[in-house]
Amino acid sequence: MAYVKWTLIVVFWVIVAGFLHYTLPQHDIVRITDTYEKRVDPGDNSLFWAQADVGSDGTMPNRDVFFIQTTTPDGKIIVYRNEDTGWGWPPYFKFDTSNLYAEATDLKSTSAVPRWIAVRHYGWRSEFISIFPNALSVREVEGPDVQIIPWLNILILTGLAALFWAIRVRWNRFQAKRIDPMIESVEDRIDDGGSWLKRTFSRKS
Amino acid sequence: MIALGRFVIVGLLVLSIVYIVSLLRLRAKKRDALEDDWRVDGRKGDVDDYVDDGLRKSQKLRRWSLFALVYGLPICIVLTIVYLTNFH
Repeated sequence: MAYVKWTLIVVFWVIVAGFLHYTLPQHDIVRITDTYEKRVDPGDNSLFWAQADVGSDGTMPNRDVFFIQTTTPDGKIIVYRNEDTGWGWPPYFKFDTSNLYAEATDLKSTSAVPRWIAVRHYGWRSEFISIFPNALSVREVEGPDVQIIPWLNILILTGLAALFWAIRVRWNRFQAKRIDPMIESVEDRIDDGGSWLKRTFSRKS
Repeated sequence: MIALGRFVIVGLLVLSIVYIVSLLRLRAKKRDALEDDWRVDGRKGDVDDYVDDGLRKSQKLRRWSLFALVYGLPICIVLTIVYLTNFH
């Protein structure tokens, strides 16, 4: 039984961690190699795509999406999409997709003369299901080894940990005050009933 | 426009629930504090009158400060995020 309980707890926290890792912003230091626009038909993976730009027809099954191609200092390729999040989820309220596309195009560089860009993004890159992280902002930095401290993530995760701890403390208090006495009285009654049974059906009576 | 409307309506609904629940909790806490004060001060007069009087006096401050906090703070946060994401 303990295996089931621990499995459920682990699965729950893996889902929570995955959700937070997807939704909270991250920074990558990369060199932008190209920007382009491509028609996309979100199908099975539509959970990982945003919606049409704010103000346009959201019911169309396909739309043009901006992309930003980049290379990391190690030579790995990362491709970001660039879509409005609008008034939806995640609550980044990103409306300036076209402006970001223009900024990213202006920051293109070659490997001979690299310009290192910090791309703030959320989301995952998976080649298997064709999903891309959504770029939120681009900003030039001095070099590929710049350290960026994720203050917002630290703030949010600390807040969530405090919330979890507050709920846990209150739950334990509630359990000690209400549930445990009830279980004890049920167990007492079972014991009393058991001893009555033993007395009634014992050989000596 | 519909997305904005949906966001505003859902947001206002959630904030209203938070406001009502917080208001009731704060009132209950104030009621307990007033009852303790009445006991400590020597049990002068009727306890219900004392409590009602105290609640009425603090009502305006309680309602408006909670209103500013529960409605104002999220709106400020949203506006700040919109500014930082799009215009910074």
